[in-house]
Amino acid sequence: MPLAVLLVVLAVVFLVVGVLYALGVLQIAVSDPNAPHHYTHAILFAVLAVASLIAANFTRPKTV
Amino acid sequence: MTLLQALFMGLLQGATELFPVSSLGHAVLVPSILHWSFKQSDPSFLPFLVLLHIGTATALLILYRSQWVAIIRGFFSAALRGSITSDSERLAMLLMTGTLPAAVLGVFLESRIKVLFASPYAAAAFLIVNGGVMLAAELLRRRAERLAALEGQSRAEQEERFTDASHISFLAAAIVGACQALAFVPGISRSGVTIAGGLVGGLRHTEAARFSFLLATPTILGAGLLEVPLLFGAGVPLGEYVLAAILSGIAAYASARFLLRYFRSGRLDPYGWYCIAAGLIGLALLTFNL
Repeated sequence: MPLAVLLVVLAVVFLVVGVLYALGVLQIAVSDPNAPHHYTHAILFAVLAVASLIAANFTRPKTV
Repeated sequence: MTLLQALFMGLLQGATELFPVSSLGHAVLVPSILHWSFKQSDPSFLPFLVLLHIGTATALLILYRSQWVAIIRGFFSAALRGSITSDSERLAMLLMTGTLPAAVLGVFLESRIKVLFASPYAAAAFLIVNGGVMLAAELLRRRAERLAALEGQSRAEQEERFTDASHISFLAAAIVGACQALAFVPGISRSGVTIAGGLVGGLRHTEAARFSFLLATPTILGAGLLEVPLLFGAGVPLGEYVLAAILSGIAAYASARFLLRYFRSGRLDPYGWYCIAAGLIGLALLTFNL
């Protein structure tokens, strides 16, 4: 599978993880497990998703 | 915290943030040595420090305003095109590469780092470590100069043989960025470890400082956006704190101008020795309760 496709899949995974943190479903490595939402983690994973999409754009085959 | 204490902390933070001597280490250590009554483990202390950091980041944005415009333009054009065609585009991608590891480590290590804030002993001990890191980086740089047969040449000629910030490798940018996360530990200097990392990555001293200052800006602003809202619920004198942040920004601007001039020919050694001495003196004062 081309690297670009893998990076897009990774971006989708990051986005899903971010949403799960925002909804409070994920409680892994959080400072306050009792908090209903973990927006800091959600923002981080959203940024990582964008970074993955940028990396995918860099690695996609380009027409000359 | 009184107004004078807040202003003093602002001046201290601004003056020490860009100097490679750990502003956070000083902010934790100095009040303890002066026996000031406010608690560094208080929930409002970290947001206060972050507000001071925003003052510093604003100073850096003003100092590098034209470069930031080019970097932001370069970021969007390179990201949308999927290729790099100019130095500013490469620098933008290097800064993104360097910022992400610090963001990941910062978010996931946040709670453990907050525990360390309560300990001025830890801050003093890490100041010594910070000094050692800078001296080691200069030792490696001197070895690189020896290998390149640059001994006996003027400092300007020696520095010319090394590269500028936009030509550092992406791997080196990621490593330097990850080193930034160490600066969440009081006593470890963000600019110290990133300048040291830049030197090891083959940058000139001025370029290592510039890369460090540019790298610090999004990290500090990001941390600020997340932490500053906590200030509004803590019942703190926000006006006084904002005044302290402005003072911090002014001190940071002057520090940055000084350091960029200093690193044209200067090295990290004096700051390394200062950190070791400050850490040892701090430990002694804390231990003997002087």
